[in-house]
Amino acid sequence: MKLKKIESLLRRKVSKNIVCSEFHSSIVLEGEVEKWDEVIRAGKLAANKGYKGVVNKIKVKGLEIPKMKLPSIRDGTLEGKKFDVLIIGGGIIGSSIAREISKWDVSIALVDKEEDVGTHTSSRNDGVVHPGIAPPSGSKKTFYNVRGNKMYTRISKELDIEFSRKGSLVLYNNNFLKIIKPLIRSRAKKNGVEIYFLDVEQAKEIEPNITDEIKGAFFLPSAGVLSPYKATIAYAENAAQNGVNFFLETAAESMEVKNGKIIFVSTNRGKIYPKVVINAAGNFADEAANMAGDQCFTIHPRKGEEVILDKKKGWLLNSIVSKLTINRHSNTKGGGLIKTVDGNILIGPNAYEQPYKEDYTTTPNGIGEVLNKHLYTIKGLNKADVITYFAGTRAATYEEDFIVEKSEYIENLIYAAGIQSPGITSAPAIAVDVEKMAVEILRNYMSIRKKNNWNPKREGIPLVNSLPYEERKRLIAQNPDYGVIICRCEEISNGEVIDAIHSPIPARSLDSIKRRVRAGMGRCQGGFCTPLIMKIIHEESGISMLKISKKGGKSYILREETKNSLRRVKAKEKLGKR
Amino acid sequence: MKSYDVVILGAGPAGLAAAITSNDNGSKTLVIERENKPGGILKQCIHDGFGIVKFGQRLSGPEYAYKFIEEAEEKNVEMKFSSFVTEIKKSDEKFELKLVNSGGMEKIETKSIVLATGCRERTAKQIFIHGSRPAGVYAAGTVQYFTNIMGYLPGEKCVILGSGDIGLIMARRLTLEGTKVLGVYEAKPEPSGLKRNLAQCLEDYSIPLYLSHTITKVFGDERVNAVEVSKVDKNMQPIKGTEKIIKCDTVMLSVGLIPENEVAESLGLRMDPSTKGPLVDQDLMSVNVSGVFSCGNSLHVNDLVDYVSESGEIAGLGAARYSLRKETRLITFNKGKNLLYLVPQRINVKSENKKVIFYFRVKATMKNVEFVVKLGNHKILKTRYLYLSPPEMKRIIFDLPSDLTDDSELGFEAYEGER
Repeated sequence: MKLKKIESLLRRKVSKNIVCSEFHSSIVLEGEVEKWDEVIRAGKLAANKGYKGVVNKIKVKGLEIPKMKLPSIRDGTLEGKKFDVLIIGGGIIGSSIAREISKWDVSIALVDKEEDVGTHTSSRNDGVVHPGIAPPSGSKKTFYNVRGNKMYTRISKELDIEFSRKGSLVLYNNNFLKIIKPLIRSRAKKNGVEIYFLDVEQAKEIEPNITDEIKGAFFLPSAGVLSPYKATIAYAENAAQNGVNFFLETAAESMEVKNGKIIFVSTNRGKIYPKVVINAAGNFADEAANMAGDQCFTIHPRKGEEVILDKKKGWLLNSIVSKLTINRHSNTKGGGLIKTVDGNILIGPNAYEQPYKEDYTTTPNGIGEVLNKHLYTIKGLNKADVITYFAGTRAATYEEDFIVEKSEYIENLIYAAGIQSPGITSAPAIAVDVEKMAVEILRNYMSIRKKNNWNPKREGIPLVNSLPYEERKRLIAQNPDYGVIICRCEEISNGEVIDAIHSPIPARSLDSIKRRVRAGMGRCQGGFCTPLIMKIIHEESGISMLKISKKGGKSYILREETKNSLRRVKAKEKLGKR
Repeated sequence: MKSYDVVILGAGPAGLAAAITSNDNGSKTLVIERENKPGGILKQCIHDGFGIVKFGQRLSGPEYAYKFIEEAEEKNVEMKFSSFVTEIKKSDEKFELKLVNSGGMEKIETKSIVLATGCRERTAKQIFIHGSRPAGVYAAGTVQYFTNIMGYLPGEKCVILGSGDIGLIMARRLTLEGTKVLGVYEAKPEPSGLKRNLAQCLEDYSIPLYLSHTITKVFGDERVNAVEVSKVDKNMQPIKGTEKIIKCDTVMLSVGLIPENEVAESLGLRMDPSTKGPLVDQDLMSVNVSGVFSCGNSLHVNDLVDYVSESGEIAGLGAARYSLRKETRLITFNKGKNLLYLVPQRINVKSENKKVIFYFRVKATMKNVEFVVKLGNHKILKTRYLYLSPPEMKRIIFDLPSDLTDDSELGFEAYEGER
């Protein structure tokens, strides 16, 4: 469609104030509207109409969207450093790319603005390894989804990631499936996904506790579950072991581009000079693209909320259960119930558009919606089983497809952007493709070869509580710390917490320890173990008690020593008397 | 495999009392404690008020615990610390326990078990608090550990949600340490804590208590910087338009205690939904899994430690005598509509224990109350209370009628005025 035609469509359907233009083969939308919903509608209407992407710069009257939160450190430790490859973003995409490129004898840096890898979208999702039936045939999503799904069999072994492939059961409660059954079957065939149509009885063999209010189901045996943050950490650790330099609390802030080539990337810790830049910046990938003067897409953060239930009720579910909802305008598979690899049931997510990329607040409405929609799909669950809930944002483009490609306009920039669901599933496949692209570009500047000592294997922290009796006994004999339980709800030992602190990407904060070994993730939510874990962090890494944080930055747990405050109060009183 | 008569899980006030009693009665006794020393939560309760009923003295938590620790040590009661039970299986007449500690894994067997595992605090998420997830939101017991055991204060300006006793005690404690306690917000129309704590911890320090209020949102990115509080209606739902923003750096929660009964559940013990503890008879033995006893705060949440110890003694004695126990014939009884719960929930008419101690709470505040026990239509016990309210647990001793049989209809009732 011609630019003017799209513009008049947007003016007619959304707002008269919208102006369209073209940049780097993409369509740019500008103007001011009343509501965020109009921004989204305009972006969606302009998508997939013959342009490479939608750059949506429409503003909402009176709405100020906060800038990306930056680390508080500012120094020059990285000033002038040269790397062959610079990866921006330490989510599962950046981390898996780092691991794959580490096969090559090149210098690699990965920067992430947070204190740990995988703190944003990669730790704020349900960890489902999707079968690949949801995305449209022919899309990049489908291509990477189906390939990535298969790759996890090997990757999970190489990287010591708990991975359970027990399939996904999709329930339906009316007969309309009969009509669309051929459609589902043909989509499955096209996408290369194994599928079985089941009657109620067969469905109950797989999941005995599903609601009686169903008419039938289909089963996708290739679906699986993993812990998304543990998978990210595993990838990152293996990359680090193979020589990748992880610079955390390091944010890309701007780029110097000359003659279509990135010369350096400025960070809060100095300028880095890379040969190739890989943009895996998640929700901020559009802003990173803009730094290179190459923005040809927009990330609109679609938020989702999820609920976690007490492990006690874990036995009620074996795999993944969802209810079929047919909604052409929906961009999520509608959520469901998932038995996590840790034994809890996770419920969600919902999906709604909102302007904030880092707003992870939960809402009574959102959590209520998730519970009402799914909780009663499995008999025996109720609201009192909730132990916690969280929110995340999907890094969606208006095209609703992944961007995995070399930049058309910047010779040393690669995109792994717009990665929303099924991002975790697709990561292994995206990573090997980006590896190829990076090697192609690097060969323009240098000769490179593979390392002969690359180690694809990473060993995780032992899951002590799930070891057989004799094996656990042997392990404790080697290291008595594995026998001292610190987190009573999850039965996590002192030794595991110490391992997390000394792991290749060292855990320093309470949340980073949680993500590695689950201490504090149980039903008391850290009520008992928080002080104990703080002591271990202090003893093992020397951080003062007052500087131990929940999640890096200034999220300190404690404020001051007890008697100190009295001295402060007295000093104030003295001042007052004078 | 080491073999015991009685194994007690937990070395807090309930477990220690149970251990001493069981040991005194000649049973080979073992106490397993997951922490590295005995005393349970009393270790961090440095305020006074413990032991008034039992010793006629106002002791601090550690002082109270020490009386029992000393006695257990003098009597050489075997105790294992930093030891954690990973599994219990019942086989025939015995229980097999797997436990883990720095020495490795160990299997032991025992004829009976006393669960004295205490309780845990309800969390922010369990009462559906929303907003962001910064540092600075803690359970009152965690703050108590920070302050009293570690010597650190969590913040400068604190808002307390819930008027449970630990929250009230910590309101005073933090105030004494120089933290500004801005107020206690309670969603219920009545306070949850004991009257004496309301007077001694809030009123004496001019800390305001806001009833029918709750926190509806938490703000802050790295650390809490404010909360939104709202008035709530009768159903404890926030009332739109009553929101108020309060700047603070700490939110402390004292919103209820939950008996820790994961072990009990794994053994298949039937539970009482009102106490969230096991259903027991007057020896405090489970009604459906013979040989498992429960006491202290894992049986039901007590208001005074003195009663925690008392129930430990009952359970310890029951466990020690378990092998002598004859037939079990349980009778249930009618619980009047004003009673929230009664512990024990059953009576074993064949038990030698004829002097039964009942603990109970009422559902709502009542004045000038008559509490009666009826056998058929006859009142066999009558007690008067000027004032009863849910936070105040009550205890009565009651001699079982000698003519009690399987068919006896026993009833408990509490009502205002006289009937």
